[in-house]
Amino acid sequence: MPAADLARRRPRVGAVRLRIGRGTLVLPPLGIVLLVLVGPIAVLMLYSVNLRTNIPGTPTAFSSANWKDFLTGPGNPFRERFFYSMKITLLVSVAVTVAAYPLAYYLAFIARRFRYTLLLVLIAPFFTSYLLRIVAWSDIVLNNNGIVNQALWDLHLRPHGNGVSWLLYSNFSIFLVLFYAWIPFVSLPIFAVLENMDHQLTEAATDLGASRFTTFWTVTFPLSLPGVIAAFVFVLIPTTGEFIAPLYVGGPNNQLFGNEIQSFFGDSPNWNYGAVLAIALIVVVLVLMLVFGRFLNSDLRSRRSGR
Amino acid sequence: MRLRLGRVALTAYFWAFVLFLFAPLAVLVVFAFNQSMTPTLPITAWTTHWFHQAFSDTELTGALLRSIGIGAATGLFATALGIMASIGLSARRLRLRALIVAILLLPLVVPYISLAVGLLVLLNQLGLQISLWAVFLGHVVIALPFAVLVILPRLRSLDPAMIEAACDLGSNELTAFNLVTLPLLLPSLVSSFLICFITSFDEFAIASFLAPPGQPTFPVFLYTGSRAPGLLPELIAIGSLIIVGSLVVIAIAEGGRRWAEGRLRGIPAEEAELPAGQDVPTLQI
Amino acid sequence: MGFSDALVPLEVPVGVVGIDRRQFLVAATGSLGLGVLSACGSSSSSTASPSASKRPPISAEPGTLSILEWPGYEAAGTKAQTYGLLAGSEYTKKYGTSGITYTYIVNDDEALAKATSGGPFDIIHPCHENIPDYVNRGLVQPWDTSLLPSFKQLNPYLVRATQYRGKQYHIPWDWGYGSLLYRTDKVSAADAAGWELAWNRKYAGKISLWNGASTNFEIAALKLGYPNMDVLTSSQLQSAKQALIEQKPLNKLYWGSEYSQEQPNFKSGEVWVTYCWQDSLVSMTKAGLKCAFLQPSQGRLSWICGFMLGANTKNYYHAHAYVESYINRVAAAQMTNLFYYGNSNSTVTAADIKDKTLVRALDLSNPKAVTTAPNHLQSWSPNRSALELAWQEVQAA
Repeated sequence: MPAADLARRRPRVGAVRLRIGRGTLVLPPLGIVLLVLVGPIAVLMLYSVNLRTNIPGTPTAFSSANWKDFLTGPGNPFRERFFYSMKITLLVSVAVTVAAYPLAYYLAFIARRFRYTLLLVLIAPFFTSYLLRIVAWSDIVLNNNGIVNQALWDLHLRPHGNGVSWLLYSNFSIFLVLFYAWIPFVSLPIFAVLENMDHQLTEAATDLGASRFTTFWTVTFPLSLPGVIAAFVFVLIPTTGEFIAPLYVGGPNNQLFGNEIQSFFGDSPNWNYGAVLAIALIVVVLVLMLVFGRFLNSDLRSRRSGR
Repeated sequence: MRLRLGRVALTAYFWAFVLFLFAPLAVLVVFAFNQSMTPTLPITAWTTHWFHQAFSDTELTGALLRSIGIGAATGLFATALGIMASIGLSARRLRLRALIVAILLLPLVVPYISLAVGLLVLLNQLGLQISLWAVFLGHVVIALPFAVLVILPRLRSLDPAMIEAACDLGSNELTAFNLVTLPLLLPSLVSSFLICFITSFDEFAIASFLAPPGQPTFPVFLYTGSRAPGLLPELIAIGSLIIVGSLVVIAIAEGGRRWAEGRLRGIPAEEAELPAGQDVPTLQI
Repeated sequence: MGFSDALVPLEVPVGVVGIDRRQFLVAATGSLGLGVLSACGSSSSSTASPSASKRPPISAEPGTLSILEWPGYEAAGTKAQTYGLLAGSEYTKKYGTSGITYTYIVNDDEALAKATSGGPFDIIHPCHENIPDYVNRGLVQPWDTSLLPSFKQLNPYLVRATQYRGKQYHIPWDWGYGSLLYRTDKVSAADAAGWELAWNRKYAGKISLWNGASTNFEIAALKLGYPNMDVLTSSQLQSAKQALIEQKPLNKLYWGSEYSQEQPNFKSGEVWVTYCWQDSLVSMTKAGLKCAFLQPSQGRLSWICGFMLGANTKNYYHAHAYVESYINRVAAAQMTNLFYYGNSNSTVTAADIKDKTLVRALDLSNPKAVTTAPNHLQSWSPNRSALELAWQEVQAA
């Protein structure tokens, strides 16, 4: 990189000739991340194998009982809840990606002139507070006396005072809120790929007589797949650890895996078991990252090389 | 015919979604002026009373100030660390570069709830009390990847000729950095600050575990407050301000960015929409 | 995580994500090594409270009371006290309200967790079954009862019940019952015979138990007829857990907040059967609903709650003054007239309480009501952590 030429230059003024290269500047940020990120994970690991405990006076000795129970215990409810959580996560990720594709397509191909401005309009809600947007759903729109129910009552579609029970504290409300939160963001990678596509390819297809739909299906869509996968991953990974939405709009049967973890550390002082869950979540996310990240990377590289 | 239908359908779809996205925000703003204690339709009377009440509620303003303070501190500190990391990463020879990048970006991937409980456990292990300092540190670490992701590409894309020119003209490395590199980096530094600020301001997981009782950050206060029906109107009022404020900031920031990009490249502002010289368009706000 | 991700420039994931898988695993194992090293060594222990001789006089104390408290019990004069309680008014009149901050209790297990890992509290308001845990974790110190003028007026039976290891760690204040409040116009009298009402499928979706962890296990234990609801064998615990898992889908929700969930849901008719304490009977009757506070065949739950003093409090004298402003005769009587909980001040008699029918129905003039059959006093459970894990399993099921 040309900017690295600077490294060759030595300071003309200054008494000390430092042999330390610019690379050492990376140490303070690296150190802080290691301390604040790795330290907690390490201590959590100790708790998960019972080498430490938060209840004073309880003996500590290495024990993989909690891990065994979580991973292999028959009918373990926390494991069940994890699978439920992943199901919702996958559902939301797929739905969001599918729904965002036309938005990105519109921006890239139809709204040619103002596409960046419109993109900004689309993502703008994302910059406002996530929590406040959830509160809008949970306390104004979906709740028992909220807008939707009031409208139903005013239109005499339902008897007054009788609200739709599954609007809030249900699978529906969690799905809706997560969908709502992620749609804008997910359009970005798809848009980027569509935007960057070589239009000559689609022109060539049309010149060869393909209909608009065929062009899309055989040329545009396959080329945009890396963006689609990226979008899917961008939702999947954070949503795996999601726990805020269920706190506001989830019922007791809709709590996600993140809520389990929160409840172990907030509601009951069983940190040993909670640590197992917390680490399991990290591992799952890392695995997802490795699996999909590799896939992402190779696809993008091949696209770049012009194939 | 099918052509037009497709276009019309997609356009309708897009705008329907924009409506869907903005509707809850609009709802918040509208109900901030609602006279009654509970947010229900129809709205019979309007008032600005809740804004006054919100600002005279010391617990609410305290929580807001705490969040703003920690957010600003996070923005500054994470940006500074981001600059350091970016410079370090752009060094020509760097051992274990990929590993360092992986570690620096690791907070993006670690679920915040796991990190939050991990920090709680770590503090307990070290015999420390939970405190806003811990919240600050946690926020810096989760904001740092964003700072790096925003500053590093910008640093890499700088025309080295300008820096070489400065050195040729006799300035040492540090001065060249201060007088040439930093100003050129300014748009990305502002972006970085904003992103890190927002990340910290809206962060709930870490704050909920590490903020001491009686010193909640705004997200924590919002959560406990939304459970109390008496506090809801005030929260909606403040919420509407935050929403409108962020939208205004976004608009200004984007406008400013385009203006700055244009100036830095010497091209008119309208053409600054499309950043040149990169094969994947990056959206840098 | 959320919207900040939107601003990530897209070219970077290429470079980042394309890191070598092997290097990533190296980083992970390296972190483990670092972590093990850093974790060896320090252990936490709470420091001893300053001895009496080193204690600063009240004027030198910061005067900031951080209180872990049930919603509804905030001192009169504070903004949060909107329920009409007058207790605490002497304190707030003298010392003001700006120094008081409340952190709210959802249930006793959660309060214990908060007190253990959360910031230090000056005053905590737990119920008596938790006393040993608070003491054994070093979270509290004994009160100096000579600093509480009204202490000698307190019901000696309750005072003895809240001592631990011979010291007054807990000042009893309020006592009462826990049972199911039900709509007499919606629930047939035949169904309202005992705790099994909460398991009755006829009322599915109209039931709301408390998010009360160990309390729910006591309810299950009573329903299943176990001899001691607080000391369960492991097979009894499993059965109780199963029973609660069966009951779970019948709930509209496990309520966490009395004033923003339990009472509004019951009032609006969304819930016909709710676990609560007797103050809800009073509020809901006042709101015009036809309801009754179940007297189960197996007996109601009863509780004694009160104040404990933080082990490392810097506001020793303020804390005592605060508690005194609650336990004195006037404050205690007013509390009973408001919530119809019993109070611990024995100078308050039936004559001071307005609704005589309720006094009789709730046995408020009986100083030993909490342990009078068929009431079951919620007491300490030796296998608390097993209970809590079981409760987590119920919630996850």
